[in-house]
Amino acid sequence: MARPTVLVVDDDAVFVESLTAVLQTRYEVRSAGNGSEAVVAVEEEPPDLVILDVMMDHMSEGFDVARSLRADDATSLIPIIILTGIGRVYDLRMEVDESWVPADRYFEKPIAPEELLRAVAALIGPGEPVA
Amino acid sequence: MPGRFSFIFSWELHERLLWFSNLRWVAVAGLALASFLGPFVGTPSTWPSLVMVAVLVAVYNLAFVFVLRSRLGPDQDYAELRQVAILQMVTDLVALLVTVHFTGGCASLVLPFVVFHMAIGTIMISTRIMYLLAFGTCSGAVALFTLEQIGVVAQYPTVTGRQPTVDGCVLSMAMLVGLVFGIVYLTDSVTSRFKARNIELHQTTTELQRALDEQEQLERRKSHYMRISAHQLRSPLGTIKTSIQVLLDGYLDPGSAEGRQLLQGTATRVDSLLDIVNDLLELAKMREGRSRAPWTRNVSINQILADIFDAVDPLAREADVELVPHFIHEGAAVLDWAVPPDLVYAFENLIHNAIKYSKAEGGTVTVALAIDANQATVVVADDGIGIPDKLQEDVFLEFVRAPNAKHLVAEGTGLGLSIVREAVQMHGGHVSLTSTEGVGTTVTVVLPLHHVPPEVEST
Repeated sequence: MARPTVLVVDDDAVFVESLTAVLQTRYEVRSAGNGSEAVVAVEEEPPDLVILDVMMDHMSEGFDVARSLRADDATSLIPIIILTGIGRVYDLRMEVDESWVPADRYFEKPIAPEELLRAVAALIGPGEPVA
Repeated sequence: MPGRFSFIFSWELHERLLWFSNLRWVAVAGLALASFLGPFVGTPSTWPSLVMVAVLVAVYNLAFVFVLRSRLGPDQDYAELRQVAILQMVTDLVALLVTVHFTGGCASLVLPFVVFHMAIGTIMISTRIMYLLAFGTCSGAVALFTLEQIGVVAQYPTVTGRQPTVDGCVLSMAMLVGLVFGIVYLTDSVTSRFKARNIELHQTTTELQRALDEQEQLERRKSHYMRISAHQLRSPLGTIKTSIQVLLDGYLDPGSAEGRQLLQGTATRVDSLLDIVNDLLELAKMREGRSRAPWTRNVSINQILADIFDAVDPLAREADVELVPHFIHEGAAVLDWAVPPDLVYAFENLIHNAIKYSKAEGGTVTVALAIDANQATVVVADDGIGIPDKLQEDVFLEFVRAPNAKHLVAEGTGLGLSIVREAVQMHGGHVSLTSTEGVGTTVTVVLPLHHVPPEVEST
């Protein structure tokens, strides 16, 4: 069985490197540097899970991506983890109230590698190490 | 009353008019009582007339109360309320003269009640109008008494049944005139001070309220700024912490190529964090009015620009950008007072930006300097990526960076233009910007030549 694929969407290349290093121990990892790249990447080949940063080129770009994924029947079931660097999730929820998109999990950066792996495993299974 | 105070005075006048209407019920009751008692004290012929006057006063008072309660609120235009007040005064005075007529003319005991209206009117309306009304009342009374004396209209007896004499009438008229004008004058001299104080108090309150509002706004801006700053610092910190954890937990070997790359990237995040902190400190220092160096006399902008050209030349070459100085006037632009390092920072930052965000290859950055009698104008123009329309007003604000700028050059604190603006404003000048996305950006700095900074002025 092929390893599940995780798409990491973040405009911070260094952060993407870190997440990739952690996730690739059990999953295939792809990455996108902004919202539109993410949409293209999902269209090309739908991943099993998407990890989204919120503030990229625009204030709530991550939410826009999440909303468009949820709106499309082909992608509406893909689990989404929101991983934001711009502040406490609570503040964020207040600020974006109107455009609030129910993702599956919300985390603030920084995130401990173990915690991330646990959250991903809970959504799409434990994956498997490189053979 | 002048416009900006009209609210408070409208409110007050409305209140007083209602109070005056309440008093009028007492007058109605008095009239009714007098007409009821009249037959018992020997003036049988007048009582039906007094009842008529009482009914009339009651009817128009009801009308006034109705209008005041349902049609004219306390927030009504002052002029309209004043018209109602004048109308009330005139109807009251007419009713009073009619009552005076029925109760003995110039010998009537009701006559002195005119005084009440004069005093209340002076407080409520205005002295000028009350002098007019006093004149009208006196004229009306004199005309009435004269007609009564010469027998054109009937002369009714007083409550005590007496007919006034001509001498008594003249005396009564003289007293009426003295009393009416005297009361208006006295009331005015007492209340005008209160009115002036009232206006003063209102002015002071308004000013205090405005200062308080400004203070609150400033506090909000400050806390907003703090929050944005914290967010900006938090973002690279999140990345740094995650990198360290990934390396510590052994997901990457620091010795491996990938591990080294992650460390390298993390180091650049630390650098950008330091840049932000340094720029924040710089900005805070300028906002406190502290320049990074002392104010210096006779600073040449030409010299500053020439030095910057030398400094940025390698950068321009590397970016394949042609740097074109364009000094429009002969001679140098010399500022009476300036802080050279701050000006260097400002111009260097603008020229840096122009080079950084210019075309991929073969771009041109023009730096033009024009001088007139009072000011120097420096224009830095590039043919680079430009700034999106909706961000052009905001790029001078802290942490605002256009997405196209972020794509082209990852690093940048978003504080450079804020510091530029602060530095230019410190020199009494201003900075503005025009830009077309994909075509280029032109930044214009105008500096007054003879600006004397407050720090220098005070010493």
